[in-house]
Amino acid sequence: MVLKTLNDLKKLVEGGPRKKLVLAAAQDQHSLGAVVRAWNSNIIEPILIGDKEAIQNICTEYNYDISGLRIVHEPETEKSVEMAVRMVSSKQADILMKGKVGTSTLLRCVLNRDWGLRTGNLLSHFALFEVDTYHKVIAVTDVAMNIAPNLKDKIAIVNNSVNCLNNLGYVMPKVAVLGAVEMVNENMEATLDAALLSKMNQRDQIKNCIIDGPLAFDNAVSLESAQHKGIKSDVAGDTDLLLMPDIEVGNVLYKSLVFFAKAKVASIILGAQVPIVLTSRSDSEQAKFDSILLSAAASKW
Amino acid sequence: MEKMVLGLNKKHRVAVSWAQDSNTIGAVTSAVKNGLIEAILIGNLSEIQKTCRESNIDTRLFTIVPAANETEASSEAVRMARNDEADIVMKGLVGTDKFLKAVMDKEKGIMIPGAVLSYVAALEVQGYHKLLFVTDPAVIPFPDLDQKIAMTRYAVEMAHRFGIEKPKVALIGASEKMSRHFDNAVDYAIMCKMADRGQIKDCIMDGPLDVFLACDKKSTEIKGVDSPVGGDADILLFPSLESCNPFYKGLMLFGKGELGGLIRGTEKPVIVMSRSESELSKYYCIALSCLMA
Repeated sequence: MVLKTLNDLKKLVEGGPRKKLVLAAAQDQHSLGAVVRAWNSNIIEPILIGDKEAIQNICTEYNYDISGLRIVHEPETEKSVEMAVRMVSSKQADILMKGKVGTSTLLRCVLNRDWGLRTGNLLSHFALFEVDTYHKVIAVTDVAMNIAPNLKDKIAIVNNSVNCLNNLGYVMPKVAVLGAVEMVNENMEATLDAALLSKMNQRDQIKNCIIDGPLAFDNAVSLESAQHKGIKSDVAGDTDLLLMPDIEVGNVLYKSLVFFAKAKVASIILGAQVPIVLTSRSDSEQAKFDSILLSAAASKW
Repeated sequence: MEKMVLGLNKKHRVAVSWAQDSNTIGAVTSAVKNGLIEAILIGNLSEIQKTCRESNIDTRLFTIVPAANETEASSEAVRMARNDEADIVMKGLVGTDKFLKAVMDKEKGIMIPGAVLSYVAALEVQGYHKLLFVTDPAVIPFPDLDQKIAMTRYAVEMAHRFGIEKPKVALIGASEKMSRHFDNAVDYAIMCKMADRGQIKDCIMDGPLDVFLACDKKSTEIKGVDSPVGGDADILLFPSLESCNPFYKGLMLFGKGELGGLIRGTEKPVIVMSRSESELSKYYCIALSCLMA
């Protein structure tokens, strides 16, 4: 199955049991708003951990009806994060979400060796875009977490993302390894890694997807452009996942899609035991809501 | 290989450096007698005459050019090729390094500027359904990526001359899997993508593949490796001289094979053959150089 819009994610969560999302340091207006909305849309079952009084004050002020919601009182930020993480690792919750806490604190808890959510996999960022000018949603990784992934990291990032797409119903997602050109160039490391990833995919060392690269951005998303260049590829023009060479390229692409192409975006962190919703303050209400929706659809517990 | 010889119709002039031993003269004689080549023997005049007399060979079969020593003979052979007085250069009793020094001389040699010097051999072996081209058993000890690409191009070019339009190139390793422990596999993956993108042309490429997967269809089925080359390779590119050399010698010795081999990267074909090759293989080396000239 192929998702045309982010809204199609709803079809994946409808009918199933509602996933439990635990919001760590929940006294955060932006996060609360999105969580309550997702709850009202029957997408998740939230658990709020944090300063109960502060949470209630925000909800009163912004008219969020949280009657019937489970709230665990823990005013100390770090402790509330630990509690949230432990709740997930003991399988009492399916999704972790960041509230009013720094990203580094949250990740430190996630990576705790005793009670964290480590799987041995690299953590990576996964973003799903809906943009009018493409015929389906397109996933992009990694635009926010891994700065300059080496080949081994790229393999892990692809595996994380492919696993997520498989969970979203993509049996064999098409993965384009992005470069500045579609040719192999010894002076461009990204094109060499792309060649290696393609071959590992052919040899079934990276499974459950079809990888081709290097592909330049236009070849990856436009069949016409690929044909114009005479590229024979099972991926070109129909990419489901774009693998970025590094964070600079990824971040600029992400922001250009949002600001210039008015793309809708949902994003989560992969590689831990469960999807982690880690939205930033600058994300729109809609983006936060869609990220929660994505996490619920991607959650396999 | 026999077909190749029959297809040759132009007589090429072969300049042989330090050509006074029975081995060299013997190899050249049959090619001359069969009308394949005209031979120019460069060396010590009296030695050449003596060898011919002992082997009962008529010296009038050859043009003989006197030279004082092996260095001078090699330089002269190369000079003749440069000046279009010869079409092919062949090594006689001179050491390979001295001979190649003359070939590779920056000012007086016959290297194609910037080209990689390498060796391609065509093998005819029982037990394989067609000719097998292998590279490089003789010149580059540990080829890097650029050299591997050049070697591939030479082998592809040779296969074309044999009428194989889209030769299947197997990049040989110990396994078909990509592994960080094998640097060559990394080069191979890069080359395969270059072939995908048309940066290496006129061939079908896959690798890493082991020799079984490259040349034995059954192995690809057993292992479940889906390869456009699998089981039907025309060309085997080896990761090193020391893997390719024993491979071809093993085939010659145990597989009753014959070969033709040639130096590539030069303006004109250069024949360097081992004294221990069979008479027929030596003949094929000369015939192959005529094909490539």
